[in-house]
Amino acid sequence: MTASPTLVEVEEAVPSTAPPTSGKRLLTRITRDKGALACLAFLAIVVLMAIAAPLITKLSGWGPYQFDSAAINSDLGGLPRGSLGGISGSHWFGVEPQNGRDLFARIVYGARVSITISLSATLLTGILGVVLGMLAGFYRGWVDQVISRLMDFLMAFPALIFMIAILSSLPSGNRPVLLVVVISAFGWPYLARVIRGQTMTLANREFVEAARASGAKDTQVVFREILPNLRGSIVVMTTLAIPGYIGTEAGLSFLGVGVSPPTASWGQMIASSVSWYSVDPMFFAIPGAFLFLTVLSLTVLGDKIRTLIDQGEAA
Amino acid sequence: MKRTSKLVGLVAAAALTLTACGGGASGTKGASEGPGAKAAKGGTLQVLANAAFSHLDPARGFDGGVNNFYRLIYRTLTTQGAAPGAAGTKIVPDLATDTGKPTDGGKTWTFTLKDGLFFETGAPITSADVKWGVERAWDPEIGIGSPYAKQLIEAPASYQGPYKSGDLATIQTPDAKTVVFHLKKPFADFGSVVAQNTFTPVPKGQGAGNALDSKPIASGPYKLADYKPGASLKLVRNDKWDKKTDDVRTANPDVFQWTFGLDPATIDERMIAGQGTDADAIAGTVQAASVARMQTPQLKQRTMTGINGCTTYMGLNTTKKPLDNVKVRQAINLAVNKQTVRDADGGSALAEIGTTIQPPTITGRVDYDPYPSPDHKGDPDAARKLLTEAGFGAGFTMTLDTRAQPKMQAMAVAIQQALEPLKITVKINTIDTATYYEVIGTTSQQHDAAITGWCPDWPSGATFLPPLFDGRNITPKGNTNLSQLNDPGVNAKIDEISKLTDVDAANKAYGELDKQIMALAPVVPLLYEKVLMLVGGNIGGAYLHDGFSGGIDLVSVGLKDASK
Repeated sequence: MTASPTLVEVEEAVPSTAPPTSGKRLLTRITRDKGALACLAFLAIVVLMAIAAPLITKLSGWGPYQFDSAAINSDLGGLPRGSLGGISGSHWFGVEPQNGRDLFARIVYGARVSITISLSATLLTGILGVVLGMLAGFYRGWVDQVISRLMDFLMAFPALIFMIAILSSLPSGNRPVLLVVVISAFGWPYLARVIRGQTMTLANREFVEAARASGAKDTQVVFREILPNLRGSIVVMTTLAIPGYIGTEAGLSFLGVGVSPPTASWGQMIASSVSWYSVDPMFFAIPGAFLFLTVLSLTVLGDKIRTLIDQGEAA
Repeated sequence: MKRTSKLVGLVAAAALTLTACGGGASGTKGASEGPGAKAAKGGTLQVLANAAFSHLDPARGFDGGVNNFYRLIYRTLTTQGAAPGAAGTKIVPDLATDTGKPTDGGKTWTFTLKDGLFFETGAPITSADVKWGVERAWDPEIGIGSPYAKQLIEAPASYQGPYKSGDLATIQTPDAKTVVFHLKKPFADFGSVVAQNTFTPVPKGQGAGNALDSKPIASGPYKLADYKPGASLKLVRNDKWDKKTDDVRTANPDVFQWTFGLDPATIDERMIAGQGTDADAIAGTVQAASVARMQTPQLKQRTMTGINGCTTYMGLNTTKKPLDNVKVRQAINLAVNKQTVRDADGGSALAEIGTTIQPPTITGRVDYDPYPSPDHKGDPDAARKLLTEAGFGAGFTMTLDTRAQPKMQAMAVAIQQALEPLKITVKINTIDTATYYEVIGTTSQQHDAAITGWCPDWPSGATFLPPLFDGRNITPKGNTNLSQLNDPGVNAKIDEISKLTDVDAANKAYGELDKQIMALAPVVPLLYEKVLMLVGGNIGGAYLHDGFSGGIDLVSVGLKDASK
């Protein structure tokens, strides 16, 4: 960042006026980009699915836990009847082998799990990362030492192995909450590091010194001067974190330490489809496609936002 | 009667691990080039397996997998026949010249050894070696396998096996060929008991500690050549074994080569492809996902199937409310949709629907359905009526223990779904596979219901109903009476049957006891699981043996063309 030598008022005006305009500008720029628009549309569908899951399954006629013995062939080990994994008018995405549960309903309810867990984890890491990062960057000294070493420790830790170990040794209580806590515990340092660095730079800027000189307290400086300037970074970092958390949740469910059955989860569906790949490829393809497209959309969108914000800052 | 070890067989079968799990006599008959074709002498037979053997020490191992394997390296006083169907579960002489001579009203049993019996070391097998082998069953560290010797043979309470306590006076060896057992009380079927692994001879003075687990001393047609625990095991011919002394074992291949630790899906792929040495291979039950691929005529010819002789059931803990109410238990029996449970297990190719406690392979078993419903799909209306009568029309919540294994969890979910219309909320409690039986066998940790299984030690109700339903056998730890049923009527009947000296009459009485117990509905019989296996194209002489959880009888199997 280039420290502008112009008037302090101008600098102070930037945080208060820039975000709204950049927010509007972001939206218009994104809607003009076809790729980003497609991503946004797909994400809107997934989010809508997640929110309106009970309504949608009422419409499709099959709940996520409802068995349909007629849709599978017991003599063939429970293989779905019909081509393409049993896709038909009543089962839009086909059925799960061995029990005939409707894949569409399970995808819809699986979206709920993915979205809830990833958003909660993002929120929690966001709060932890921003608070601890700013504390470290603003106060320096021993506070910084303690927080930075903790971050180093967590980042150097083999997180996935540790998550598997923790989740498999914990009693099967409220799995989604456990997942969020465990994912967040290892996720916040990545955000906190960036925040800490930016806070350090901002804390030395003239407008902050000016605010201090005019008698502002620490809290005022932090909330009025520094935090608004971090908004761009926070938005970019969190948008890029969501697909990561969706992937982590699916991965943990795939490994059998995620949400417990019969709760539907994309990762779990992919895990149970592994042995069926040769006789019922659609069982793998459908949840796989949803997971892939969701992560891709979020990543592309996050990338786009970053580019736009970077451009905005340069401008 | 030991639950855990018997269940290991079931666990293993479920995990598609066994080389020795299968059942029934219904191989693919008629196909002349099928697995039933004649086997030639010689060659190397490959066995692909997921889990390794639990133990090589005959006093320790005790499940369908090792029992079948032990017949290759060990001999016992008597053994089961080597033939498909009921002939396979018939007890025939092995080391002994006959199936035993009872005296003293069945309390004393005398066996005479054949001539020309030798260990792999060249030392003759004497009655003292048999006695030594049996005495090992009392050792607290070694005798963790078949419990029957300890339960039936008279011994001082302080006796701890030959290494710690020395000689056991109730097993006598008047000469080198004769061994006499003195029992606690008359036991009509002792001829079947001496076919258990614990009646394997061990050279007197040897086999302390873990010695036999790493280096068995063979008395059968094969001996251990190479063993990498968890990876591979190789058997070669034991040239001290004389075919003339053995009417049971054909012992076709020159070498048996086990490969352990293979992924079940990998085993299926290799068996379907059948390339290279896999044409000379046998393996365990396939995965449900492979069933659809085995429908081609070529693969059907290499397919063997039959029931594995075990019962998969859901135990209902009769000490918990509201399951203490017989009407509630009956309602659950009526409501469970056994079709969906079977589909969860792998469909009709991998299981038959169970209606009685005893599986079809048990002698004297009566086929009946005490809680019928159309197509076994459950009868929620009849169940609701019973629940309302019992005062639980508004439903309740219960916890179902299940193993952390996809198949078992799928069955639990199927039960959960079937009970939902009755407003019974089933909470599924997943327990780690390794500690599952320990947890549900501890009465204080056990929940309302648990999905488990039981296999008979020999095809008689004596090894099935008393261990599961005798109320006086409820123990705080290692409990096998999962429903904790303590019914005076059932207990009295068990005592009455155990006094019968006629084995056939006893078996018939157990068939009736099955009905008497099911009227109390302490369990929901779910399935009789089947084995469904593919054998290599060059395998001959293979049939499923009823006595070894339906595994391919290893002492008869061989290669069609040994020169390949």
